[in-house]
Amino acid sequence: MAFLELEGVTKQFGRVAAVDNIYLAVEKGEFLTILGPSGCGKTTMLRMIAGFETPNQGEILLDGEDITDRPASKRPMGMVFQSYALFPHLSAEENIAFGMRTRHIPRDLIKRRCAELLDLVGLAEMARRYPHQLSGGQQQRVALARALAVEPKVLLLDEPLSALDAKVRVSLRNEIRRIQQQLKMTAIYVTHDQEEALAISDRIAVMNGGKIQQLDEPEEIYSHPRTAFAATFVGASNQFKGILESAAEGRCRTGDYTLRIAPQTTLQDGEAVLIVVRPEELTIQRANASAAPQANGTINSIRGVIDLRTFLGPFTRFHVHVADAIILTADVPSQQARGYESGQEVVLSFPPEACQILQAMPDQPS
Amino acid sequence: MSAAQAKPRPVRRSFGFNKIFLILAIIYLLVPLVATLFFGLAGSGGIDFSTFQQIIGDPNFRQTLILSLELAFSTTILAIVLVTPTAYWVHLRVPKARPLMDFLTLMPFAVPAIIMSLGLVELYGTNDTLTSVLSFGLVPVLSYDPFNIIDTPQLLVCAYVILSLPFVYRPIDNSLRAINTTTLTEAAYSLGSGWWRTFLTVVLPNIWPGIISAALLTFSTVMGEFTLASLFGIFTFPIYLDEIGQENAREAASLAILSFIFTLICVLAIIFLVRRSAGRIRDDSELEIVATK
Repeated sequence: MAFLELEGVTKQFGRVAAVDNIYLAVEKGEFLTILGPSGCGKTTMLRMIAGFETPNQGEILLDGEDITDRPASKRPMGMVFQSYALFPHLSAEENIAFGMRTRHIPRDLIKRRCAELLDLVGLAEMARRYPHQLSGGQQQRVALARALAVEPKVLLLDEPLSALDAKVRVSLRNEIRRIQQQLKMTAIYVTHDQEEALAISDRIAVMNGGKIQQLDEPEEIYSHPRTAFAATFVGASNQFKGILESAAEGRCRTGDYTLRIAPQTTLQDGEAVLIVVRPEELTIQRANASAAPQANGTINSIRGVIDLRTFLGPFTRFHVHVADAIILTADVPSQQARGYESGQEVVLSFPPEACQILQAMPDQPS
Repeated sequence: MSAAQAKPRPVRRSFGFNKIFLILAIIYLLVPLVATLFFGLAGSGGIDFSTFQQIIGDPNFRQTLILSLELAFSTTILAIVLVTPTAYWVHLRVPKARPLMDFLTLMPFAVPAIIMSLGLVELYGTNDTLTSVLSFGLVPVLSYDPFNIIDTPQLLVCAYVILSLPFVYRPIDNSLRAINTTTLTEAAYSLGSGWWRTFLTVVLPNIWPGIISAALLTFSTVMGEFTLASLFGIFTFPIYLDEIGQENAREAASLAILSFIFTLICVLAIIFLVRRSAGRIRDDSELEIVATK
């Protein structure tokens, strides 16, 4: 049995099901991220685990114990909020001590633990500062220490970094991960930032429309998305809508092109599919007469014109106009991107293994 | 741009329209006070303190002043104790009811004091079954011995609480809106704190400015309230002031000055006490702004 389990949990607001019949199992010491766009139900799910919302259906089990109807103040959870939610009238140290005071822990022990926690989050010098005297990043560190002070069984983090600037966000997320691993803490992290989710999680639950679309390790989510939503939401992608011509040979008809894909065993000939290719799988070459405009032997090559070139530091992103309304994205290491400019005719190539094949949804754009 | 090209910004004139308006406002506020003071002190041969001595020697003066102070303190405490947790509860649990609360707390402005006092007098003391049922038997119990609260200062305090609702609810509600009440409460809950503990240790210290504002407004309203007290037949300080005014204008002027000084001392005492007990409020200047309102 997993450490924290959600069994068929549903939460409705009026007629809308914000969370729709969710089953989720989180292991002890695991860092699970719930990733999804705003309004997908991720925060509602976290709030139900914290005890701020009551599910309409289903059960929440912690360590085998049903905590569905237990009030938030009686659950062994620590929560970090997007808006920090530090108590403005208390200093950093007093904020951290708040939860321990509630639990009537002896004063000298509280003092020692506050010092340890301030040290852990790197704010030993700031103990006496008030929240308004701290930067956003420092406030969130205090909030993290405050949540850890009560030694929760599960640490809940509700978009803790979204109010911070980019640099602080990266350093603080690494710190959160380091502390979580150091304390072997079970953590549930809610975010809409896929990069953040990929960077720090043991597993990611991709959510949309109140349902979990895919629950997997970050690499798996990125390289083998199970649904079109997971493929599009996590990372950039090129998509082709097509019909499987031959599953055994790995051939797929999409618009004017026939694409080479890896042989498929689970799909039938004639089935509608969605082919997803990550931008970094595409290579760029100058167009010359010999380059064939479509599947050529074992590699896929598509001819097009560079629409936009964006330098992104380590790599350069090209938007290449290949057909009437199709623009493909290619991420090329910047040293190989020299000499390619907007308006230039090029050939984009990618191997059959780079194609991820998904069953097409009726409303998926090509 | 080089330094030579940069034009020095013109120095702002220190005397402007804002100062003229400030001085005019001060004159507007002080002239009546100073005039009343001079009128009270003016004797046949220059300054004469005899009216002040007469007033201070009058037992009615002390009696009514003490009664009014008692009424003001009781009303302030009762109103704040009743309204603050209610406003917090509404904010947290039934935020949709806030417009209704706004409407209800503004009612005392719409209902004249005379109607309220007649209503109270009518309600208590009538042996009406419907009233008994609706008040859960409270009205008949309170109307007769041993309680018999009709026309007592206790009932007047209850009426004053209703009268001061707009002054109490508004600033407290504004303070609750200004802090992130819901998230702070959830943070406290997640740290194991219950409702009351959260209210007392997290919410209350952060809405002190609103509470002080509410206390000052209520206190000064009750200190000067005339209609209800007169209809209840309770001899409070404003009624004493009115009586004196009808007999001796000079004594009334001195009395007005004295009552102003007393109220000022009480208001400053409230600010001082609350500031001390509030301890570390985020920004002390915030308090000063509220206090000067």
